[in-house]
Amino acid sequence: MSWWTTLIKQETTRSRVLAVTLLTLLTLAITFILPPVADSELAGGAAIAIVILGLSWLIGWSGQISLGNSGFMAVGAYAAGIWAHHHTTTPLLFTFVLAIVAGGLSGLVIAIPSTRLRGPYLAGMTLAFSAAITPLAQNFTSVTGGEGGLFLNSLVTPHWFTNLFSGPNAAIDANAQWTADLAVVVAGVMFFIMANLFHSRVGRAMRLVRDNEVAAELMGVHLSRTRTMAFVIAAAFAGLGGALYSLLEASVRPETFPLTLSITLLTLMVLGGIGTLSGAVLGGIIFSFSATLVAHVNSLTGVNPTSNVGANMQGIIFGVLLIVTMLFAPRGLVSVKNPLRRLFRARPLMRSAKEVH
Amino acid sequence: MFTGRLRRSTTLLSVSALTLGMVSTGLLTNSASGASATPGVTKTSITIGASVPLSGVAASYAPVSGAANAVFKYIDSKGGVNGRKIKYIRLDDCYDLASYGLGCTAGASVTTLSQNQALVAQDHVFATVGSLGTAAEESVLSYLKQNGVPQLFVNSGSSAWDQPSKYPNLFGFQTSYQAEGKIFARYIKSKYAGQTVGFIGQNDDFGANGFLGLQDGGLNIASANQLSYNAADAITGSSSDIQADVATLQTNKVQVVVLDSVPGFTAGILTVAKLLGYSPTWVISNVGADPTSVNNVGEAGAITLDYFPAVTNNSDPWIPWLRKVLLADKTDFPTFTSSSVITGNELYGAGFAVAFAETLKAEGKTVTRAGFVKELKSITLATPSTTPLKYSSSNHQGLQGGVIATIAPNGSLAPVKALLTNTTVFTTGNDKKSPIKVSTKLSVSAIPSWMK
Repeated sequence: MSWWTTLIKQETTRSRVLAVTLLTLLTLAITFILPPVADSELAGGAAIAIVILGLSWLIGWSGQISLGNSGFMAVGAYAAGIWAHHHTTTPLLFTFVLAIVAGGLSGLVIAIPSTRLRGPYLAGMTLAFSAAITPLAQNFTSVTGGEGGLFLNSLVTPHWFTNLFSGPNAAIDANAQWTADLAVVVAGVMFFIMANLFHSRVGRAMRLVRDNEVAAELMGVHLSRTRTMAFVIAAAFAGLGGALYSLLEASVRPETFPLTLSITLLTLMVLGGIGTLSGAVLGGIIFSFSATLVAHVNSLTGVNPTSNVGANMQGIIFGVLLIVTMLFAPRGLVSVKNPLRRLFRARPLMRSAKEVH
Repeated sequence: MFTGRLRRSTTLLSVSALTLGMVSTGLLTNSASGASATPGVTKTSITIGASVPLSGVAASYAPVSGAANAVFKYIDSKGGVNGRKIKYIRLDDCYDLASYGLGCTAGASVTTLSQNQALVAQDHVFATVGSLGTAAEESVLSYLKQNGVPQLFVNSGSSAWDQPSKYPNLFGFQTSYQAEGKIFARYIKSKYAGQTVGFIGQNDDFGANGFLGLQDGGLNIASANQLSYNAADAITGSSSDIQADVATLQTNKVQVVVLDSVPGFTAGILTVAKLLGYSPTWVISNVGADPTSVNNVGEAGAITLDYFPAVTNNSDPWIPWLRKVLLADKTDFPTFTSSSVITGNELYGAGFAVAFAETLKAEGKTVTRAGFVKELKSITLATPSTTPLKYSSSNHQGLQGGVIATIAPNGSLAPVKALLTNTTVFTTGNDKKSPIKVSTKLSVSAIPSWMK
């Protein structure tokens, strides 16, 4: 087995550390070259990648469909926002821990009734949770700031970082980049944690529960506890992603996390590749540059942005990408090794359950 | 195994080298730009920007920044300020509601923050001038402060712009909702003494501050109602509370009703009242009373606060001057003719544009952000407003009052004849204790000669 395969499969902790560190360093280097506005978009993509990671874990490896991740994001974001509203300054690490805990707790609350449900019923339950978030945020004005939402202070760039830049726009460039670099590092850490979780006992137990309940029970794996744990972890990741996203936006409002975001997350996850780490990275990247992509498509096709087609262009593009991906690369874009070869290969009509995953 | 380790360390070495290479390239590129010390300022130009709703739910406010642009273009055509042309970049933020669509052409993922980031990091503006929207501008307070960009003449009546110690480079422009409330209270107590007073306001800063002002003014409000709504519904006026609130006021036989609502809601409320056969005296906040936006027959006779002289006021030199300026700008006002009505929106935009240009002129040849802010707080500005525009270390709000005006059936605003005098000007501060000064003198300042 070559060293590259070892790195990708990440079966040892050392190779995981190496892989994540290399990738993070490379992405950080890229942020130094990108213009500040692209850096901001990348930062948003990093936050979304963390959420997709958790979703991928839940749907791909635990087999539980969830449309509730925008809700968990909102919980993490509002937890960070409400705390920031009452405290002038908060250490960043504290905000992240708070978001993880808040997300995890909300995951627990949703999981307890949910783990009895399967398939469309579970999806419906989590959908209801996501749908409830916006009205809840709008109505409990004294806590959530209502329609106006809550404002978080911009991240403070440390002096040693600003000193790396020179020229009249040094401060602005440094500030823009610091937020992007921070988001990338946080994403790197979460990816490392997820890679370890995957290879741990928890991860193996989850996959067993997904594939064969009877075998799992025979092995002494507690079914509902494992499923609940999956939810809690996914929600914790989503909470952190949501808080990071709100820190980047410097605000959290009822419309920041609408129901449609849950569906977008699902789409991005499938596009990237369910149950893979690189799939989550790809999903995040697609998200960051989706705005630019939509603008390009609009100008290429000459569609009027205010027409029905133009206004929903993002949905149309994602929908088309999703259909194409499901037809030609159901395991997501990361699984495409030789796109041309796949096109011409005879496709079996029936797919086993494993392959669809 | 030896081969494996060698390969891994080679990978690590090459990736690190690549990383270092990219980082240093990036740093070198970052440091190579620009010649001037102050962002946005060169010997021959000054670049400023604003995030404004050019499309979408609040597009009716687009002429505000359009008029400001017209003023800057006019000044540029006469050589600019101290040899510098003013370049005004207006980016569409759709009132920070781009995700709702509703005619927004900026793109669904555009936010006020992303547009301000573009202005600051890409266009390197000297300051933001005349950005619009309470929630929209609150969302970029910390970003602009962190990057040292002055946020000037924010178009909103919130008192959030008056925080000199926390945000020293932040300045509002119009009279705050709170001060307006105090003035309304004073007027209602004198003109409609003994009548029952009611209130309908939005459940946000606007409604809350306005209500606070009424209470600070000592008004006894018999029936107060809050509209709950979704941000985008504000423009179409589709709050489900309107029916209930108006019916409550009618049942309680309220005779004077104060409205702190945006035009969409104002129109909705007036329509419902007409249907119910309810006609109290309406007192409407300036922001929600613009006749062209409300466009409702029930508004005729309503009272509001006007910061600018009536457009029919022929003795005011600013009105014909503005007409000349708007006629010259065919890009922003293609259909404006010599007989077109000048609206409150256009006067507003001209108001802050003139304030910016005058401060810039007074600062002289050397322009810095700190110098500009210092000049702004000491200068006495000559603007079209009915009350003096004077900033100071303790006043970053801007205008402090206006004239009580009534909305004529043809939709224009005419000053109300007060009990004893022809035109009464009220000024007051945001503070509860700050007294209300009454004067009969409209502060119509002369147009500076270099601007004529």
